[in-house]
Amino acid sequence: MKDSFATFHPIVNFMYFVVILLFSMIFMHPIFQVIALISAITYSIMLKGNSAIKFNLLYMIPLLLIMALMNPAFNHEGSTILFYLNNGNPITLESILFGMAAACMFVTIVIWFSCYNIVMTSDKFIYLFGKVLPALSLILSMVLRFVPRYVAQIKVISNAQKCVGRDISQGNILQRARNGITILSIMTTWALENAIETADSMKSRGYGLPNRTSFSIFRFDSRDKIVLMIMLGLTIMVVIGGARGENTIRFFPSIKMVAMTPLSMVVYLVYFVLCMIPVIINVVEVMKWKSIQSKM
Amino acid sequence: MEIYTIKDVSFTFPEKEQDTLSHISLSIKSGEFVTICGKSGCGKSTLLRQLKTILTPHGKRTGEIYYGGQPIEGLDQRTQASEIGFVLQNPDNQIVTDKVWHELAFGLESLGYEQSTIRLRVAEMASFFGIQTWFHKNVSELSGGQKQLLNLASIMAMHPSVLILDEPTSQLDPIAAADFLETVKKINRDLGTTIIMTEHRLEDILPISDRLIVMDAGVIIADDLPHKVGQILSEMNHPMFCSMPSPMQIYAGVDNDLACPVTVKEGRQWLNAFLCDNKPAEMVDTKETIGISSRTVITFKDVWFKYEKNSPDIIKDLSFEVKEGQFYCIVGGNGTGKTSTLSLISGILQPYRGKVLIGGKNTAQMNAKELFTNNLGILPQSPQTLFVKKTVEQDLYEMLSDKPLTKEEKAVKIDAIVKFAELEDLLAMHPYDLSGGEQQRAALAKVLLLEPRILLLDEPTKGLDGFFKEKLALFLKKLNADGVTIVMVSHDIEFCAKYAEVCAMFFDGSIITSNTTQQFFAGNSFYTTSANRMVRHVWPNAVKVEDVIERCQTSR
Amino acid sequence: MPDKQVTGKRLSGRTVLATVLILIVIPATMMLGILVLNDRKYYFISLLIVLYTMIPFAMVFEKRKPQARELIVIAVLTAIAVAGRGAFFMLPQFKPVVAIVIIAGVSLGAEAGFLVGAVTGFVSNFFFGQGPWTPWQMFCFGIIGFIAGILFEKGLLKKTKLSLCVFGGLATLLIYGGIINIGSLMMFTSQFSWQALLATYISGFWFDMVHAIATVVFLFFISQPMIEKLDRIKIKYGLIEK
Repeated sequence: MKDSFATFHPIVNFMYFVVILLFSMIFMHPIFQVIALISAITYSIMLKGNSAIKFNLLYMIPLLLIMALMNPAFNHEGSTILFYLNNGNPITLESILFGMAAACMFVTIVIWFSCYNIVMTSDKFIYLFGKVLPALSLILSMVLRFVPRYVAQIKVISNAQKCVGRDISQGNILQRARNGITILSIMTTWALENAIETADSMKSRGYGLPNRTSFSIFRFDSRDKIVLMIMLGLTIMVVIGGARGENTIRFFPSIKMVAMTPLSMVVYLVYFVLCMIPVIINVVEVMKWKSIQSKM
Repeated sequence: MEIYTIKDVSFTFPEKEQDTLSHISLSIKSGEFVTICGKSGCGKSTLLRQLKTILTPHGKRTGEIYYGGQPIEGLDQRTQASEIGFVLQNPDNQIVTDKVWHELAFGLESLGYEQSTIRLRVAEMASFFGIQTWFHKNVSELSGGQKQLLNLASIMAMHPSVLILDEPTSQLDPIAAADFLETVKKINRDLGTTIIMTEHRLEDILPISDRLIVMDAGVIIADDLPHKVGQILSEMNHPMFCSMPSPMQIYAGVDNDLACPVTVKEGRQWLNAFLCDNKPAEMVDTKETIGISSRTVITFKDVWFKYEKNSPDIIKDLSFEVKEGQFYCIVGGNGTGKTSTLSLISGILQPYRGKVLIGGKNTAQMNAKELFTNNLGILPQSPQTLFVKKTVEQDLYEMLSDKPLTKEEKAVKIDAIVKFAELEDLLAMHPYDLSGGEQQRAALAKVLLLEPRILLLDEPTKGLDGFFKEKLALFLKKLNADGVTIVMVSHDIEFCAKYAEVCAMFFDGSIITSNTTQQFFAGNSFYTTSANRMVRHVWPNAVKVEDVIERCQTSR
Repeated sequence: MPDKQVTGKRLSGRTVLATVLILIVIPATMMLGILVLNDRKYYFISLLIVLYTMIPFAMVFEKRKPQARELIVIAVLTAIAVAGRGAFFMLPQFKPVVAIVIIAGVSLGAEAGFLVGAVTGFVSNFFFGQGPWTPWQMFCFGIIGFIAGILFEKGLLKKTKLSLCVFGGLATLLIYGGIINIGSLMMFTSQFSWQALLATYISGFWFDMVHAIATVVFLFFISQPMIEKLDRIKIKYGLIEK
């Protein structure tokens, strides 16, 4: 399925991920965590389909369990002692719960990043930083151009070497390592020598003249403006909630949260909507498309 | 109006005695299409690089160069960047960024144009060059021809008034090259941009050039209309004449006083006019004699190949045999499976059905040592993939590093190969400082040190000028005479026609037809040499230029 | 010497910026973290500090408007390091990245060393996946390149195999391993304790060891040819003038 959130302006995409990642990392309140985790999983499945489900089940659940168990082994704070380890260290309820919360947070962040990797493609990133860091973002663009080229060239070189009897898939480990390093060496010479022409091509097209501009094919239109404003509004509300202590939880020495009030319900809802923005946009888009088609 | 005036320019590289350019005087009019040719190392690239100061190599220059009446040194960098466009040889090396659209805008960004101006220019260029369909792609997904077109477009976006191209098609296959030259012609014709271009592929370029300049050893030896230059060179008996299109060579070889033809079409008209007065000679075909060897060295038996389980078949039901000592050429278009076939022979790829036998043994059961010592030798398409060391000599020794030989034995072997490949003067040089043709010879020497009985070549004539091609052919013939079997994959029909014993046409994953070279080309009507296309209505069996000249001379 | 002046200015520019960051911005971050963020303070403070340290390099590099040839060499070495990291994907931790970064620092200077390292850390994650570990990797690779360059300038690090291998092994084990483990501890547990840090070091020891050995092996085999190649490029094409 095509992701319509990705078609928004890079600033919108980037701001969304910055805000969401920050919030996911800061808020340890269980309800906030559950909201973030559910949204991250929903969006990742929307982006990647079955492979996301597999990824979440196969890697994320074991990771979550291991991490949840790891924390109590090192962390002995907390007032509710469940039992003592052989070395005399106590295992506390608080540290187990804290471990689970930390693990849940980490898994959420990893899943958010798996979405980020799909939405924030390199060209969007280069666009965002092209104005602030023109030289570095050009390096970035060049590296992204060179890497696939070098990977292909490594294959060509290793085939050519194979044909003169230097095969990295045969021989003992020392020979193999030597042949591998020969390939890397050939590759380096080739890359450096050919790069001279690239530098010529840049100079020939005026690179280095003062007042360089940076071009992009992205356009900031009204729908970007609307979504950005909505995001901003929601973010402010969540931050206000945070300042009032709605989103925090204290684990040590004993677990403490603020009591649930109508106001906190509002903050939860606002946070949920913020996390779900891409999902909502996608769903709205699909519905719109269906209604247009039915009219045609 | 003159766009360039070059007055008595000489140029010497640092630490070199001899001038690379000596006393060049030239003037180029605005809107002209000028082609410069000459064998590799004659100074044509150096001359082109004098025309844009930022690309001029270090060295000592005397004489003056004026651009639009102004000394070129006085021209500021901004003007030079935008007005003088320069396209280099290698399509891959010139691309800087990872996206097509970004590459198109690169020059305009440097010049500091605004977003809206760049948007318009980029859109214009994408439409003019037909780039719309791949505008959003990553550059790594493009073909070689598309990459070179992108380079051209990204320069044209800056609206240059002169376009300088340094062998732009040498790395492209014939179809992509023809497309590229067609675009250059369109730029010259529709936009009035001045074109200055060096090129080996004269057959395609001469018909569209206004002027042809021939250089030799840093000096201009001819500068005139293309067909006149042909006459001048023929009168001088200059080796560059061998690079001229076939119709011109045939014309010069036959005693007549008609106008000189350049294209095949003009060649046909010329032949018809010539034969008006003369009766075409009846030629009895000299039967090609092939030393028929009983031993088969390469056998393909119903071979099928694909890269992945679900990808389409690349090689389909391919069966053929190569006899010992044969010079076997495989010709055919891009993406038909020619290179894959070579990889199947060398065991890099394995068929999923059928068998590949080398000297009667299945490649699937042979290890690298068995396959590549005294058996198969492969000259890769890009010779640079073989160079490891700092000098050619060390590189040759590297090849023998894991052989149980004494120092003296190694030296003897290397001496012999150096003599054979004529590398004596190049031994102390860095492999990357050699020209394309020299690099290839050094790579060939490396491969030959393994003493192969079968030599596989992938597009060996790519990027070589006529002179180096002849030289390569000479080496291959020598090896062939020593009993080495040669299998070559090539786009270069003229080369195959001249030197191969057996030619095979590849299409859609299989060999469609194969025959002795003359029979093969005589049997094709389109996929054949230009000499044959020119005369096939009279002499369908004449394939080479010499064949045609001989027939013309005996037509009395 | 006009060149020397430029270098002097460059260093002082970076120093000023670094001083500002160390004296004002970093303490401010710590205050903010301790006052506002309760449980996540360690991770946030460390992450932000890591990011801050990279800013001066980026700013100084941008400010002096580098030439096309400098960009190219940095991009080529970075791309080789990224492709190398990819080429050895089947051997976990056995990567040539640190070796290439050290060579870059020694041959091209501390700044180029830092940039090659940091950009490699960033770009390789476009292929292997960005995550909270990205800034840490960028910083670790970058700082190793930077230190290699500085030590070489001061004459403490030579271009010999032995000297490079010793430095490479130690740098990978102590600097890379030392910092990246702090990073992962912060990511996982968000509660800092010396005990947990020690446990992280112990559990990560063999990974770091393999990484260090890989760096030594790569430096042993490729350092000399690579340095030679870079020197040739520098001389032949005047890519980076001394």
